[in-house]
Amino acid sequence: MRLLTLISWPYLRKHAVRSLLTVVGIVLGVAVFVAMHTANQAVFFAFARTVDKIAGAAQLQITAGEGGFPEEVLEAVQNVPEIGVAVPVIEAPAGTHVAGQGNILILGVDMTGDRSLRDYDFESGDDAVVDDPLVFLAQPDSIIITKEFAARNRLAVGDKLTLSTMAGDKAFTVRGIMRSGGLTSAFGGNLAVMDIYAAQLVFGRGRHFDRIDLKLKEGVTVETGRAVLKKALGVGFDVEPPSARGQQLESTLAVYAISMNISSVFALFIGMFIIYNSFSIAVTQRRSEIGILRALGAPRHQIRNLFLVESAVTGLLGSIAGIGLGIIGARAMVGTISSMLEGIYGVAERAEEVSADPRLLGGALAIGVLTSMMAAWLPARSASRVDPVQALQKGKSQVLTAGENRARRLTAAGFTAGAVLCLFIGTSVWFYAGYVLVIVAALLLVPTAALWFARGIRPVLKWLRPVEGSLAADSLIQSPRRTSGAVAALMLSLGQVIGLGGVGRESYNSIVDWLDTALNPDLFVAGSQNLSDRTFRFPNSLGKDISSIEGVDDVQSVRSLRMNVRGTPVLLIVIEMAGFEQRGHRTMVSQDRRGMYALAKAGQGVIVSDNFARLQRMALGDTVDLASPGGLVSLPIVGIVADWSDQQGSVFLDRSVYEERWKDQSANVFRVYVKPGIDPQTVRQRLLEHLSPSQPRLLVLTNREVRDWVLQLTGQWLQLTYSQVFIAVIVAILGIVNTLTVSIIDRKRELGVLRAVGGFRRQIRQTVWMEAVAIGLVGLALGLLFGAGNLYFLLQITGRDLSGMYLPYRFPFDLAVMLFPTILAAALFSAFWPAESAVRTSLVEALEYE
Amino acid sequence: MTALSDINLQIPKGELVSIVGPSGSGKSTLLNLIGGLDRPTAGMITLDGQRLDGLADDGLTAVRRDKLGFIFQFFNLLPSLSCLENVALPLHLRGWPRKKIEERARELIGLVKLDTRLDHLPDELSGGERQRVAIARALSVYPPILLADEPTGNLDTQTGIDILNLIRDLHATLGSTVLIVTHDMSVASTCQRTITIRDGQIVDDRKH
Repeated sequence: MRLLTLISWPYLRKHAVRSLLTVVGIVLGVAVFVAMHTANQAVFFAFARTVDKIAGAAQLQITAGEGGFPEEVLEAVQNVPEIGVAVPVIEAPAGTHVAGQGNILILGVDMTGDRSLRDYDFESGDDAVVDDPLVFLAQPDSIIITKEFAARNRLAVGDKLTLSTMAGDKAFTVRGIMRSGGLTSAFGGNLAVMDIYAAQLVFGRGRHFDRIDLKLKEGVTVETGRAVLKKALGVGFDVEPPSARGQQLESTLAVYAISMNISSVFALFIGMFIIYNSFSIAVTQRRSEIGILRALGAPRHQIRNLFLVESAVTGLLGSIAGIGLGIIGARAMVGTISSMLEGIYGVAERAEEVSADPRLLGGALAIGVLTSMMAAWLPARSASRVDPVQALQKGKSQVLTAGENRARRLTAAGFTAGAVLCLFIGTSVWFYAGYVLVIVAALLLVPTAALWFARGIRPVLKWLRPVEGSLAADSLIQSPRRTSGAVAALMLSLGQVIGLGGVGRESYNSIVDWLDTALNPDLFVAGSQNLSDRTFRFPNSLGKDISSIEGVDDVQSVRSLRMNVRGTPVLLIVIEMAGFEQRGHRTMVSQDRRGMYALAKAGQGVIVSDNFARLQRMALGDTVDLASPGGLVSLPIVGIVADWSDQQGSVFLDRSVYEERWKDQSANVFRVYVKPGIDPQTVRQRLLEHLSPSQPRLLVLTNREVRDWVLQLTGQWLQLTYSQVFIAVIVAILGIVNTLTVSIIDRKRELGVLRAVGGFRRQIRQTVWMEAVAIGLVGLALGLLFGAGNLYFLLQITGRDLSGMYLPYRFPFDLAVMLFPTILAAALFSAFWPAESAVRTSLVEALEYE
Repeated sequence: MTALSDINLQIPKGELVSIVGPSGSGKSTLLNLIGGLDRPTAGMITLDGQRLDGLADDGLTAVRRDKLGFIFQFFNLLPSLSCLENVALPLHLRGWPRKKIEERARELIGLVKLDTRLDHLPDELSGGERQRVAIARALSVYPPILLADEPTGNLDTQTGIDILNLIRDLHATLGSTVLIVTHDMSVASTCQRTITIRDGQIVDDRKH
């Protein structure tokens, strides 16, 4: 520790800028890691807390997918002897029409029994109305809001609140205001309570409930209660504790987490190389200092430990800053993630509820410190091996290591062979092991490959500028230890850019392709701009009304609902198979088209999306079990088609089977085809005029509007990908700045000689700039090569574990071409400060520099 | 701290001069000021009729480029460049045509008798050979003034004598003005004039 203050601190202070750049590598790696996990955890915890608050004292909840179930089920449940209290619930989001307020979650409850499960702690209200459920029931426009919502919108008891419902915009009367805390803090107070039977009416539930919340009798365990209810209700129902509702969120976040995990690992890897680079150079520069310490009696291990402790401190500082930055980043990310997850409840969870998990922060701190120490291990070992006699000899120039090592190349070859073997075995763990081995092999080959490329571009650079070009290339060739760290960092980040960019581009192209082929109706009649919004339903009979409008050629109704299949919440899409066959144009992945539709139409099977088949490891002929209120519906897979409707996978079921087994005749969306030669806008106008009076909640969207919405949503995901690309490029720039800063110091005498023998300042600048360009070019070459491989792995990961979609391998040449000017400009930008520093060094000092 | 004071010195064209003195006396500082590597805080330096003290950085560089050749104690060759490339370096900086550079560099390498070492890197040469390359580089642009800072300081005795003889021969052949900074009196005694500096002041100036 004493050596740290005596020796290390003055050095770090003297090289403050470089020390800072070294730390930045770890800062970014840790920041990405913390931001991603904190944001995910925060959203998940907030969601879990919300579920908990809404559930109140409920021990179990009964659901039957999103379709709900008939009212009679409640009676059956209440007749089970083990049940203490069982109350029905309807949950529906409603638009508030207030800017910045978004949706509000309406909890439809039966006030006669619900208060034994949930505590409605009223702050104000007409006690006679609120306390007497019968009076409350007698006034179906009654609504109870939270204190927070009331305060935000300056509402008081007796005021009117207009909400968007299935029955159109409807004015409700505020009958009560709940005190803060418990239930009311869910969704930041965007929650209101109304009578369940009124909710059935305004939210189009018919005589269905969404859920039953229940409390068991004293002495009955949750497990017993669950088993009894499962037996009583049959397989069509889910009986789970409220906490199980986080499952869907967890699987949605898992997809995001995998891609962010890969990015943070890459960022840490890059940070590791920046630290390795800095410490390698520090050892070279402090050779005489090490020599003096050794001559004064410092043992080898003390020198090694000195550098390791320095790296630990660097890692600690970087991690602390990274954690801070990560938490700030998490707050920004939570907003995006929350809005993407809004579809689950229809109401956004609020960002201010973000909090960081101390265990996660501790882990991030440990990762930062360990990464830093691992990166500094080799330089620290080299430092301990410095020969004091050689180190103290004045006038000895730096020993230039060849940087080429047969053992390293052989290890890389071994790792590559190992990777091939892992890929051959193919199971998930082996696949990821193979991926890691390929990355490590590529990193081991960096010095050799960088040397080849640098030698390759030397004649070109020399031809361009004989002195400046030669020296720039030679700087790379002669000091591989200095340059390979930056080149490796650049290779990793560009490889990630190519990989993520390639996957993003292919996903986008596939979605556009899917939109072109499958999403082909001229108009869509829906309850929301978001076609995947399943909270608004229309009677299926509305399809007939739409068909009768002049100019309409064909109408297909779609009812979509989320449903658990093998524990995964997939999307069940209910359609009329005949129309789907005629108009759907789904790209076939498996089975013949005619046979597939014939079987599905006859209710003898389901068609599934290719990502469903892959994620569930299912094939043609395998049975899909769908839980319905009428019991388990087990149907074989009769066809597999390309479909992007849902990232967890989609199951297409014929409407006849659905109506029979689910007793549900509603639809979310109507796909409308206009007769040839007729302007869809004219038909749209007719539809609005004809349907709006009876269905005020209804929207008629054109194909273009829906396409734009889907592409905008896809763009949101791509934007998240590109933000990772941005981080990668920034880290790469830091690598180049670091290398050049070190290079300038390292080549102080060389640049001094150049000036002494007549080199102008501009020529010195050009040398530094060309070196930056050379690093950029070598990094680009290796990055594109590595990116080509990385893209393969990321496409495989996308297919295996993310969306289940196997996208075609297409190298993103346009992105690669775009990277050339970007990286070369970044390299020149990175070189600006080092170049100025080089020309401002005292000549006398430079010529005396050892 | 004052490195040099009350220095009043004139060196005629074509003279071979040595500057001697103990370590820290200011002899290298004087050479650096004459060579335009450093600037005086006060006073005036004139080189071939041109004042150096008022010149901007590029002006000083131009003087170094056109009028001066440097020989350093630690050779200061660029380790990544071959002998030929090191010698050609000042010519490239002047933007000479490539063919002419090649011819001139080969001629100089021949002059210092290193024809067989053309493509060798500095690390592959002995100390004496490196200093020869440095001398060839210093002569590349026909400089009227040659400045040598301890040119034999990092060489063994025999090699030092050889290098000194080479410098004297070149002085005789080319007629350049040569200034050698040294603390070795045996080196100084071979020059036409010796200036002795102590504590930043000239204490002796004599011709041999």
